[in-house]
Amino acid sequence: MSGQGLTGLSPWSRRLVTVGVLVWCLITVFPLYWVVVTAFKTPPGVVGGPTYMPFIDFTPTLQPFIDLYQGIRGEFFHTFLNSTIVGLSAAAIATAIGAMAAYALVRFEFRVRLGAGLVFFLLALGGYLFFNATFGLTRPQALLLAFPIALIAAVAANRLPLPGPILGNEDILFWFVSQRMFPPIVTAFALYLLYSEIGRLGFQLIDSFVGLTLCYVAFSLPIVVWLMRDFFEAVPIEVEEAAMVDNVPSWRIFFGIVVPMSMNGLLATFMITLAFVWNEFLFALFLTNSRWQTLPILVAGQNSQRGDEWWAISAAALVAIVPMMIMAGLLSRMMRSGLLLGAIK
Amino acid sequence: MMRNDPIKHVFIWPAVLVVLAISIFPLIYSLTTSFLSYRLIPPIPPRVVWLGNYATLLQEPRFWNAIYTTTLIAFIAVGLQYAIGFGVALALNARVPGERLFRVALLLPMLLAPVAVALVARMMFNPTMGPLNQFLSKFGLVNLPFLTNGHWALACIIAVEVWQWTPFVILMMLAGLQTLPEDVYEAAELENASAWQQFWGITFPMLLPISAAIVFIRLIESYKIMDTVFVMTGGGPGVDTETLTLFAYQEGFKKFNLGYTSALSFLFLIAITIIGVTYLALLRPHLEKRR
Repeated sequence: MSGQGLTGLSPWSRRLVTVGVLVWCLITVFPLYWVVVTAFKTPPGVVGGPTYMPFIDFTPTLQPFIDLYQGIRGEFFHTFLNSTIVGLSAAAIATAIGAMAAYALVRFEFRVRLGAGLVFFLLALGGYLFFNATFGLTRPQALLLAFPIALIAAVAANRLPLPGPILGNEDILFWFVSQRMFPPIVTAFALYLLYSEIGRLGFQLIDSFVGLTLCYVAFSLPIVVWLMRDFFEAVPIEVEEAAMVDNVPSWRIFFGIVVPMSMNGLLATFMITLAFVWNEFLFALFLTNSRWQTLPILVAGQNSQRGDEWWAISAAALVAIVPMMIMAGLLSRMMRSGLLLGAIK
Repeated sequence: MMRNDPIKHVFIWPAVLVVLAISIFPLIYSLTTSFLSYRLIPPIPPRVVWLGNYATLLQEPRFWNAIYTTTLIAFIAVGLQYAIGFGVALALNARVPGERLFRVALLLPMLLAPVAVALVARMMFNPTMGPLNQFLSKFGLVNLPFLTNGHWALACIIAVEVWQWTPFVILMMLAGLQTLPEDVYEAAELENASAWQQFWGITFPMLLPISAAIVFIRLIESYKIMDTVFVMTGGGPGVDTETLTLFAYQEGFKKFNLGYTSALSFLFLIAITIIGVTYLALLRPHLEKRR
């Protein structure tokens, strides 16, 4: 029905459809309205039963936000700062290295032998068990030792004429994207154990900026690679070919021509990644406890901490929600229909 | 055209290394741990039990309950999301009046933190201070036990999931609808096909590949549900709304039963893979026929 509207429908069903959409819109907006309103209520205004209109039903107050800022319900300001720092840096790093990988996957040819992948996995697993059992190394030590060995062996094995299929760019992309299918609890729990064992070796990763950001970068990379690949594919190759004739090195083609041309895409990807990191709960729950706690953890804790003080809880929820509301506005302005179109194909 | 330049390794390796380190490390680590009997509290030295953890888990009713709950939430929620989302997308695409305004409002929920959304839901469902119960009491339904009765609580969680993620379906389906060629509809119009016929004959089949992808993404994501349940009910009442991720969290983080939890997360991984592969296998004949 693209472009031609509901011409096939009678005026009555047309009205029915409009009402349907309106109802759904109401369902979507009402809870949001409710938090905003509740956040400005005084305690009696909440406990006395539902009230709806400011100035008519109740007198609005800023007290919940003042309480919040003064840290009566936890270190809100500090946590907000944490979320911002971790979110911005993780999104920036992920977008940068993810975009580079995506560009490589679009413009260069890669051939990985399945055999080499197997070599990597088996050597990493075997090496880990071997070092752990025979040399008496601790688990993270064994892993850290087995990992580079397996990696070097796999890169070497890739040059040998191993039997088995050869994987191309599409398969590498699939590998990236399939990381998103993993239940995060598998990674989160193991990462927690690994981080705490590394912590015992004297390098603290739990409740640290590096540990959390690293985890979020890895967690966002699949989406970044997936989205950026489409943007780079849309860049006309003629421009790049012209530059190559002039012997411009590849890295300058990328940074000087391709990146400026796909700035919109990079910005959108950055914002989507930021939203993911900002809202993420499970990893933060496992990997932080006080110093680098992020907003979702603090917000989730509001519930049990001091009972049903809805005015304060609304204010807290609002603090976590508002930045994303602003971003939704920005995103929807950028979002031409074509932007996400490529992503779903 | 594909180029071949050694610099490609500089481009791709940082991403590959980070993903490898953060995904393969934990994978190997928890795979090996899942064969151990290993607890931190009380601290017992690890002991190899091979498949012992898996056997215990498979006999644990709480595990099956978590699988059942998660599956129920995922399938019902995704089904509703798809139905509502497709409907709204069709309406928006047909230039319903005020459509521009709707677009921004409709996208909002999916960008909000699930924990915050769950808190808002708790307010909405609150028996004395919530607007929903007040609204329903006008129809003679007083104090429905929204979050304190197992069935109601499940329904509430599903409702929140639908509220939050239908916008994703709307967004994707809208993008899909805009790719449809117009001439097919013009031809159908000439044949006097009704709107209903046009939908089942053209729109739905042509959008099947995109629909399949969307439902797949949403199903996989729904199986990981944790934040919403964590805040809304904490898995309660009892274990009525305990999902797989929450169960794993309780075992691992509250009881520090490491071997057991690792085995659990591996079973989870296997379950997701089975569901994914079955889904794709079931759908493949349909998709290929259309192309």
